[in-house]
Amino acid sequence: MTFTLRTKTILSGTAAIAAAALALAGCAAPPAAQAGFTGWDQVTAAAQGQTVRLWMYGGDKQGNSYVDNTLKPAAAKEGVTLERVPVADTKDAMNRVLTEVQAGTRDGAVDLVWVNGDNFGTGKQAGAWSCGWTSMLPNMTLTAASDPLLANDFGAPVEGCEAPWSKAQFTFAYNSATVTDPPKTLAGLLDWSRTHPGRFTYPAPPDFTGSVFTRQVLYSVSGGYANVPLGFERKAFDRLTPALFDTLTGLAPSLWREGKTYPKTSGELDALYAGGQVDFTMTYGPATLTKLVADGTYPAATKVLTLEEGTVGNASFLAIPSTSGHQAGAMVVANLALSPEQQAAKADPRVWGQFPVLDPAALSAAQRAMFEALPPSPVVPAYDVLSKNANPELAAAWVPELDDAWRRQILTGR
Amino acid sequence: MAVTLPPGPRTPWTPPRGDGSALRISRTPGRVGRTLLALALAVWFLLPLAPLGLWLFADRWSYPAALPEAWGLDGVRSALAQGAGPAFARSLGLGLAVSAVATPLGALAARALAYHRVPFPAAVNAVLFAPLALPAFAAAFGLNVLLLRLQVPPLAGVILILSVYALPYTTYTMRVAYGSHDLGFEEEARTLGATRWQVLARVHLPLLAPALARSAFLAFLIGWSDYLITLLVGGGAFITVPMLVASAASGTGNDSVVAVLSVTAVLPPLILLLGLGFFARKPPGGLS
Amino acid sequence: MSSGRRLPPWLMAAPAVLMASFVVLGGLLTAAAQSLGLLPLAGSPSLTLEAYTTVAPDLPSAVGLSLAIASASTIAASAVGFMAALIIVQGRWCGRVVAAVSTLTIPFPHIVGAASVGLLLSDSGVLSRLTGAGEAWPQLVGGPWWFAVIADYSWKESAFIALVVTGALITRSTGYDETAALLGAGRLRRLRHVLLPLSLPALTVSATIVFVYTFGSYEVAWLLGRPSPEPLPVMALRVFSSASLTSRPEAAALAVVTAIVSFGAAFAAFALLRRIPLWR
Repeated sequence: MTFTLRTKTILSGTAAIAAAALALAGCAAPPAAQAGFTGWDQVTAAAQGQTVRLWMYGGDKQGNSYVDNTLKPAAAKEGVTLERVPVADTKDAMNRVLTEVQAGTRDGAVDLVWVNGDNFGTGKQAGAWSCGWTSMLPNMTLTAASDPLLANDFGAPVEGCEAPWSKAQFTFAYNSATVTDPPKTLAGLLDWSRTHPGRFTYPAPPDFTGSVFTRQVLYSVSGGYANVPLGFERKAFDRLTPALFDTLTGLAPSLWREGKTYPKTSGELDALYAGGQVDFTMTYGPATLTKLVADGTYPAATKVLTLEEGTVGNASFLAIPSTSGHQAGAMVVANLALSPEQQAAKADPRVWGQFPVLDPAALSAAQRAMFEALPPSPVVPAYDVLSKNANPELAAAWVPELDDAWRRQILTGR
Repeated sequence: MAVTLPPGPRTPWTPPRGDGSALRISRTPGRVGRTLLALALAVWFLLPLAPLGLWLFADRWSYPAALPEAWGLDGVRSALAQGAGPAFARSLGLGLAVSAVATPLGALAARALAYHRVPFPAAVNAVLFAPLALPAFAAAFGLNVLLLRLQVPPLAGVILILSVYALPYTTYTMRVAYGSHDLGFEEEARTLGATRWQVLARVHLPLLAPALARSAFLAFLIGWSDYLITLLVGGGAFITVPMLVASAASGTGNDSVVAVLSVTAVLPPLILLLGLGFFARKPPGGLS
Repeated sequence: MSSGRRLPPWLMAAPAVLMASFVVLGGLLTAAAQSLGLLPLAGSPSLTLEAYTTVAPDLPSAVGLSLAIASASTIAASAVGFMAALIIVQGRWCGRVVAAVSTLTIPFPHIVGAASVGLLLSDSGVLSRLTGAGEAWPQLVGGPWWFAVIADYSWKESAFIALVVTGALITRSTGYDETAALLGAGRLRRLRHVLLPLSLPALTVSATIVFVYTFGSYEVAWLLGRPSPEPLPVMALRVFSSASLTSRPEAAALAVVTAIVSFGAAFAAFALLRRIPLWR
């Protein structure tokens, strides 16, 4: 029967494809390419004509405009074509990079990622980053080598695997029209929410912002960040977190919707705040507040809440995946992004309002003047005010542990 | 034999009683009910889209204002600045490519299944129906490792996977169409001496044109509206409208941009629909 | 009308079958390999069921919730979609209006539809603002009954069902329906004996598609749902994108489970379909 024979051919062909697929997917990934440049001149020469794909969170219109209208033309002048790839979450970019590492790609789709924290840590564990290249960037000399925010990223030593880009401070914002007695400490904020049922909530970890909030509460209930070891220790976790989860469990009934559910993302919390459902919101990117108040998304009476004990601060970086085929071009863009001109343009609240990473002492008078000439934001205080008493970030290993425990004990425990 | 008459009613028809025609009796109260039902359905289909319409030209719409406080083109300008133009062209290309691959393949498979003895029809049906049951994220993260290893260009990979996701829709739309398609016309044409190609061009395709258009349209939609596979398998090189929507929707204060992008995301399919004559109530050459 | 000159039937189906096999088998086997620890991100491959035992405790609630959402959405979408198809095939201005507005909703990508439904139904959404309900507005988005999620699926998918059923009815029904009417069949009898049997295959196929789609889809439940309990795809994607390196096998295990349940539903529908006379 020809039918049967042919069918068998099709079926066995299908099986062969599947087997080949598995074999291909299963074989060991080849080692990632190394940059191997000896001097900056070599890098700029190799970068000519390269196209660099910068993957970054695309939900921030101002950030997108800054890259498209300011950074991109400047990169073009240096001979590099910059393409911005907007993603809904930096984790989408991480997934792509990790998949390429898994497949042993050498000319991947990601040349540069705006990254920090646990995403950086995961990538480092998986060998997904090119390392040791940032010391070659001429503009790295304008940053302070001793700056702890730039040397460690959530406890993971940076080790030249990513170039600093911006600083950020965890920030609470509130509607001063409805909150007439703004609290001054985190404990005060929790008290306020107990006396004003339904008017406060926080995003459910593993949302980035919700996760920071739980760490901030952990510092508060532990009597300050000095009492929490930054490196992850199981013993410290078992000793310190019961107080954290007791506090959050006790807080739940007075939260929005009686703590029976939580906003899944910081975007949802922001929407609740914009819709007057709650009186507080929180963000790791206070730069966006200016625009959101100006365009009427947030109430006009929105103010930033500064806490006496300070809040967590961090820096965000540009990292080059080891699978990128345009390492030189990516390094040129990272160096450009660190230049005083670009850092000052990016710090302008009308452009983006991201805090610079440069060390004022390392700058010339003319360069410092660029930063001093920036107009202040009507909503967000200056970085030195916001970052007063700044708390360090816990090591990235704390993050999934706290997030998982929160889900088990707070979210599904009720 | 293509299709049988519908199964006979289990109870015999009873003749009309009295002197009034049943046709007229049933229509008089029916008109009111039908109108009400049609209105309810119109509200059902349109209401969820109302917010997009309002946000489209809303420059400022703070809570608790019931309607936008300031109208303007900020959303449009912003969407254009985010690269809506090129993304639109890419989405269009992707939708057309998926449609071009999945429609003929689906129609061929459907015809084979409808009229011929295909070996292991159950297995063939199962394989063609299977993409529906395969979660897109599972396909994406299993296959992109595979495709990268095979050095398939990302865009080709996206078109391949999305075409496979479109195949069930095209195959089954065509399958249903062939199921109620009367082969008698083709047989008659051949008896009258038409060649195979004449039958295909003059009888087969015109008779099935509405179904082909529907399945091409569904395949187009798969490519047009996909987010996850374009993102994970496309490797970011290929930024489409849904990718812009997702990244804009994840931020705050982007509602008017999302609305503009969304409307952008709907116009081409609508134009296609009108162009394909979808609203024609009866297919050309259909029974009446 | 088979003749020696035409394409052999197996060759007509082959391209579609081969492409689908590659994507489905390739995708599933690679996902299964990842879930069994054969494709680790770091370290050497070793066969283990660890990923499955890790996710096992969360599975019953996730599967149950996903099934409930998919069932409710499918039932509602089928009922509305069938009604819409009936109105459309009857023609006149009613039919044209319903055809136009239901077609309008089809091209909206799911993520866009969900965003719009969110803007409509949320606590500070358009309806809440228009009615001035304020605090009294029910918890539709992110509420305990997943109302907004089911409403969104029912809305989007009813248009899809209407499209498919209309396609099946429009070529034949008018003739049968008019004949039956002339023979004196009443509205309900025509519905039961003419329109329902004619549309049953299309209705079953499209309802099955809706069921497996809503069961395995992510965006809507993620955008309009609540963080706990989680539908299966939402859980899988959360685990997939969590930062730890061990999470990928777990996400792959969830994907395999999702696929198995979906395939089960699809096979059940096929078994049903083969008993319907119009479907050979």
